[in-house]
Amino acid sequence: MARTFYDEMYDASGAVRPHYQAFARWLADTPDELLAQRRREADLLFHRAGITFTLYGDDQGTERLIPFDIIPRSIPASEWRMVERGCIQRVQALNMFLADLYHDQRIIKAGIIPAEQVLANEGYQIAMQGLNLHRDLYAHIAGVDLVRDGDGSYYVLEDNLRTPSGVSYMLEDRKMMMRLFPELFAAQRVAPIDHYPNLLLDTLKSSSPLDNPNVVVLTPGRFNSAYFEHAFLAREMGVELVEGADLFVRDDKLFMRTTSGAKQVDVVYRRLDDAFLDPLAFNPDSMLGVPGLLACYRSGNVVLANAIGTGVADDKSIYPYVDDMIRFYLSEEPILKNVPTFQCRKPAELSHVLANLEQLVVKETQGSGGYGMLVGPAATKAEIEDFRARLIARPEAYIAQPTLCLSTCPTFVERGIAPRHIDLRPFVLSGKETRIVPGGLTRVALREGSLVVNSSQGGGTKDTWVVED
Amino acid sequence: MRLSISHDTTYHYEDQVRTSIQYLRMTPHDSERQQVLSWQLSLPRPVRAQVDPYGNILHVLTLDEPHESIVIGARGQVEIDEAREAEHESQSALPFLRFTRLTEADEALREFAKLESRSRPDRSGLIDLMHALNAHIRYVPGTTAVETSAAEAFAGGKGVCQDHAHAFLACARSLGVPARYVSGYLFTDSEDHLASHAWAEAWLDGAWYSFDVTNCLAKPERHLKLAVGLDYLDACPVRGMRRGGGIEQMHAQVEVAPMIRVQQQ
Repeated sequence: MARTFYDEMYDASGAVRPHYQAFARWLADTPDELLAQRRREADLLFHRAGITFTLYGDDQGTERLIPFDIIPRSIPASEWRMVERGCIQRVQALNMFLADLYHDQRIIKAGIIPAEQVLANEGYQIAMQGLNLHRDLYAHIAGVDLVRDGDGSYYVLEDNLRTPSGVSYMLEDRKMMMRLFPELFAAQRVAPIDHYPNLLLDTLKSSSPLDNPNVVVLTPGRFNSAYFEHAFLAREMGVELVEGADLFVRDDKLFMRTTSGAKQVDVVYRRLDDAFLDPLAFNPDSMLGVPGLLACYRSGNVVLANAIGTGVADDKSIYPYVDDMIRFYLSEEPILKNVPTFQCRKPAELSHVLANLEQLVVKETQGSGGYGMLVGPAATKAEIEDFRARLIARPEAYIAQPTLCLSTCPTFVERGIAPRHIDLRPFVLSGKETRIVPGGLTRVALREGSLVVNSSQGGGTKDTWVVED
Repeated sequence: MRLSISHDTTYHYEDQVRTSIQYLRMTPHDSERQQVLSWQLSLPRPVRAQVDPYGNILHVLTLDEPHESIVIGARGQVEIDEAREAEHESQSALPFLRFTRLTEADEALREFAKLESRSRPDRSGLIDLMHALNAHIRYVPGTTAVETSAAEAFAGGKGVCQDHAHAFLACARSLGVPARYVSGYLFTDSEDHLASHAWAEAWLDGAWYSFDVTNCLAKPERHLKLAVGLDYLDACPVRGMRRGGGIEQMHAQVEVAPMIRVQQQ
């Protein structure tokens, strides 16, 4: 099957695209040995900084370095402005959807989304019904995963509205590039991103009605795969990093134990899933949360960012409706495209999916991290048959999409520089206003031909540039 | 019928408890079927009442002074409208279609539900199911624990009212009928059943209908509703955590009596 990929650096005739020309000149002028030396230096620095993640499904719980590639992914500013507007539009609509869902449910009454699909969804939290949140914000921090198809147009692959991770790699990748190759940043204007921690703190503070709220970062602990990031963000924002055991509830207020006594906490940037937040309200076995937190939250005495119950809006079975949400709440046309999606719970769509498994990507509606997923064109016969059985047994748990070509970007591999597939996750912050730092996290699938960019599946990262064109 | 309730719960700890926190759902609220005439909760310290996600009245008791026991007393009178079979509610019942760990319907429960209801997701189908579950899971106290799931109790064939309710919820939801757990009190003349009780409600034709598997009652009689939820964990009268304390001993004394008897004493 002939497939054409959109390459970020080279056009179809093999010529360097205008916004990559300064970089291409630099790359041609820089001796190979110097590049090799700098790459080794980068590995060493990342190791020393402790930027690692824990791989799930690995018995040893191995900590691995996320491979960093020194060839940046570059986006012309004019193109970025479209992506930025599209992400902001999308996250605004999703926040309005959540506020509507937990109050009047106008979108259900209007017949746009079937009631059962949202209300019986595991991500829908009864605890949020009728609860009023400051500024009506649910997903204060969102990660929108974007890919580009063969013609270069951007598609949203998924919205991450629970606890999106990866922003520390975005920031560290930039620091690394500036340290290794300062001359690159002198040669052209790359939009800065180092104000992200300030914007994040500002967003978290504005999520509370208080003037100067006490903000903390709640981590599941150092065995969590993203612990490095939790510690990193707390340090960069200058706020406390806490675990559940550092917090307690008294009379519907949340407190932090400190050496100088109890101190009230007003905003929790929590990197802990809903189910673990309060063992008295959710999973009783959770040792990670704070007993009493839900009652305290529902009393309006603490802000959780993100709110409880955002998972219903980023569920893959809800994804097909996001375009309609944008039209319904904002009366605008979607700027970014949605990938056409087959809902396997619908019998007609299921039979189409079963007949075309070799060409489709099948995903679990509740899954994330690329674990429960079938990439048809890359799968073995046995893998396809395994998914066929799973689909027949629980069709409502799956959606399927055509395999997108995913754009490529030149990447250092063992045998030199070769194109590898990439995606992009901009981080959208919603507070007084909705904002994004230019770019985001670019993930790269290091295996030749692979379309799975998740770090848990052997993906790496690249610095992401927005450059004036 | 007017019921008078007196419910005392005492927790004794082997060692000193440093801090503890409890979610208490021990206060009934007014509904179409019941009218709360008076209710008083006595706690070690005053606590503000709030409404939990399911509309239940919740008290969150936090104790951060060392203590060796906790005494909780609930007393009150409630008028029950025995003639009313079902209760209406404005909130959508659809969230009660979802399964929880305790109410997961495995293959055996799904098959049983289909067979015994003869695939009728209506009141008569569910009544047949209720009778069949009562026969399949025999009432044997001490054979299951609070963390026993519907599937485990069903496989073991023994259990208490909590297991009966969970198994019914698993079956009803597998048939596409929203169903919820109810915790409350039951006035009973017989000696074998505790007056603290659990049963189920299913959403049929726009109202919640009661199904008491343990007593094979498809119509609530002397049932006083305290709290509802997806399963035991959401609706149970006391859910708590503590630091320290060692082994806990719980003693509960419940008395449910029709008012007339109380007045004669």
